[in-house]
Amino acid sequence: MKNAKFAFLAVICMVLLLAACSNSNNNTKPASTPSKTDQPAATPDDSSNEQPKASDKPALPEPATIRLFTENSTAWPVKPDWGVWKWIKEETNITIEPVLATGPESLALAISSGDMPDVLSVFPGDVQKYGPQGAFIDLAQHLDQMPNVKAYLDSKPDVKERVLSPTGEMFSILNDGAGEGSQTVWMYREDIFKKHNLAEPKTWDDLYATAKKLKELYPDSYPFAFRHGLNTLNFIGPSFGIYPEMHPDAKDPSKMKYGLQDPAAKTMVGMLNKFLEEGLIPPDWLTMDYKAWAQFMTTNKSFIAVQFIGQIEIINSQLAEGTLKFMVPPIGAGDQPYLAKSGFENYGLAVSSTTKNLDASLRYLDYIFSAKGRDIQSWGKEGETYTVEGGKRKFNANYKEANDLRVQSGIQTAGTYGWFDFEAWLALVKEEEQASYREAPKYRLNVSNILPVLTTEEAATVSVLNDQIWKFWTGEVTKFIFGDRDMSEWETFVKELDKYDIATIQSTYQTALDRLLANTK
Amino acid sequence: MKSSIIKRFKRDRIYLLLLVPLLLYYALFRYAPMFGIAVSFLDYNLFKGFWASDWVGLKHYNMFINNPDAWNIIRNTLVLGGLKLLFLYPAPIILAILFHEMRWKKYRRFVQTVSYMPFFLSSVVVSSILIMLLSPSTGWINQLIVSLGFEPIYFLQQSEWFRPIYIGSDIWQHVGFGTIIYLAALSSIDPQLYEAAKIDGAGRWKQTLHVTLPGIVPAMVIVFILQIGGILELSFDKAFLLGNTATLETSDIISTYVYRIGILGGSFSYAAAIDLSMAVISFLFIYSANKVSRRVGETSLW
Repeated sequence: MKNAKFAFLAVICMVLLLAACSNSNNNTKPASTPSKTDQPAATPDDSSNEQPKASDKPALPEPATIRLFTENSTAWPVKPDWGVWKWIKEETNITIEPVLATGPESLALAISSGDMPDVLSVFPGDVQKYGPQGAFIDLAQHLDQMPNVKAYLDSKPDVKERVLSPTGEMFSILNDGAGEGSQTVWMYREDIFKKHNLAEPKTWDDLYATAKKLKELYPDSYPFAFRHGLNTLNFIGPSFGIYPEMHPDAKDPSKMKYGLQDPAAKTMVGMLNKFLEEGLIPPDWLTMDYKAWAQFMTTNKSFIAVQFIGQIEIINSQLAEGTLKFMVPPIGAGDQPYLAKSGFENYGLAVSSTTKNLDASLRYLDYIFSAKGRDIQSWGKEGETYTVEGGKRKFNANYKEANDLRVQSGIQTAGTYGWFDFEAWLALVKEEEQASYREAPKYRLNVSNILPVLTTEEAATVSVLNDQIWKFWTGEVTKFIFGDRDMSEWETFVKELDKYDIATIQSTYQTALDRLLANTK
Repeated sequence: MKSSIIKRFKRDRIYLLLLVPLLLYYALFRYAPMFGIAVSFLDYNLFKGFWASDWVGLKHYNMFINNPDAWNIIRNTLVLGGLKLLFLYPAPIILAILFHEMRWKKYRRFVQTVSYMPFFLSSVVVSSILIMLLSPSTGWINQLIVSLGFEPIYFLQQSEWFRPIYIGSDIWQHVGFGTIIYLAALSSIDPQLYEAAKIDGAGRWKQTLHVTLPGIVPAMVIVFILQIGGILELSFDKAFLLGNTATLETSDIISTYVYRIGILGGSFSYAAAIDLSMAVISFLFIYSANKVSRRVGETSLW
């Protein structure tokens, strides 16, 4: 009797378990169907019920819902009540359902699931991988439906250059406007320099002499500090007219060159070696993280740095006394000071090739790239987020610093804007900190280290080669800087580079560059 | 005979029913994904999926074998895995015997609990603690070295230090937790054996040698065979986080290479091919270890 009872219970449990499993299985499918069934049901009475305001404004298009794949940042978690979603709804009658990327693998999973969100925030690398595989639609075919996007691209030839695939398709549109925040610049401690009567270094030799003096004055300091390890060469390289790896030649932008083969690279690496040996940069420069760097900067242990531009303000707010200031990059080679070409954005938007809401998706893109969309998605709405005082816009008091725009309203978060008005961001940057944003663009190198887009076959040829040469050069250059390999062997090293089939890599990218230049003419 | 099977089936139906969820789990999450290995023979297109991708045979396998870096990566993996086996395998046995010999029960329990704790830290946390501790400018270890009058050592920038740091921190992290299986084996040793040994005049050391150790040999063999299979399965995260461009010579192992080429570079097929070849080698290791142990002793996995 007891046994029978147990058996019965066990069976019930099993059935419940199975039911739960199959239920959740069933759930995933209908989840996407409502958006389908919504559309025919979204007849005028629907919009008049939900949108009493809609009648005040002339001719809003019919309501639609699209799913937007966007980043999941812990610093500004996506909220359903963000202003950006509301304004999109008010302006376009499109309801956005954000789908969050939980990690770098999320996009690959979304694509292979067969149930991609309609519009996706994507990086160029992903677009190059999955665009030719058929995951995204060719937006070039739909430009007539998106006059604002077309106008935007026509006004930004460098953006257009970066979104065209080798075969002329356009699998994504890159954002623009907010990239000013992600540039790396030189900075120095103005007060310390003044105190000891030191001038801003004009050249790398000056930089060395100044750092040397600072080291004498503060023996346990490391005057020059950076925290991007070997990647820092991409930020200081431009002051020598190069980037370490493959990039278009600054002297002749139609030719690809490998930076380390340039004689200036020897000067650069030799300098770093000298700096390290004399204790002018921290011995653990290769493994320092942000925390370690910030500690050096805020405790008077480092006075010159190469870092993201926004860090000037952040470190200044942590300094007990003294000020960190934008510094003109020192000249390493040639006669002009240069920073890396920057100010562009890396995030873009693509539309899924399996979308069932193509019209609404295109309409959404057209809105965020329009002048009105640009204004609203950057500033919000008058009375709601800002007021106009004496002809100048002023954000409401609840936005204390620029990042609050993201946290509170979702402004300048991935996928919510196309063409950002950076003035909105600057409006919340302190007056005295704005100068660096105005100064930095004056020193940009004419070429960036962004590589021209390869075809799938070309990419397959170089992917393993790229990894091999990367492994070789990073290992050797690290040794040179640490002094484990003597600088006198540099020429041998440059010859060794050839063994890694640098010629194939270079000619592959040269082909791509030629094609790009021909396509954009 | 037939009827008896049906009868037994009927009699045990409840227990068999209880087996169903586990079987389902294995079928769905362990066996079904194995079809994924086919990716290594395809030019896998993420969007078109499995069936529409082109069949390329052994292309990706050849690519890996012909890669000049392959040998270095395989050697790094084998050396690191071998060292791990050499040091990480005996550590818990020794610790477990020490625990076993400890007579003050309360203190023993406290030490045991403390020794389990590092196991529950993620490799990310362990790695960042290590990076901070080992820093030549701000790390405590180097401050100690300097205060003793020596030159600071750039631990993380020297390729010869990568392996000791990796193995050392692995021992710290896993030794306590690893004792659990041996402590279970130790507690099943018949106390009468100790009494008999004492009567025969065996001291503590002789008791350990002739009673305790033989008592846990079966557990030791099983753990050994399992760990042999894991030689190539080094955790990606720690090698990735502790390694840097200065130590690539020793720190670039198969999993970090697969990550760079496969995940960052998007060559899923190539990465799958490398991983599958490693799985085959791992299986060979287990199989031969098992065979040897079956021939020599009486304990084996199957």
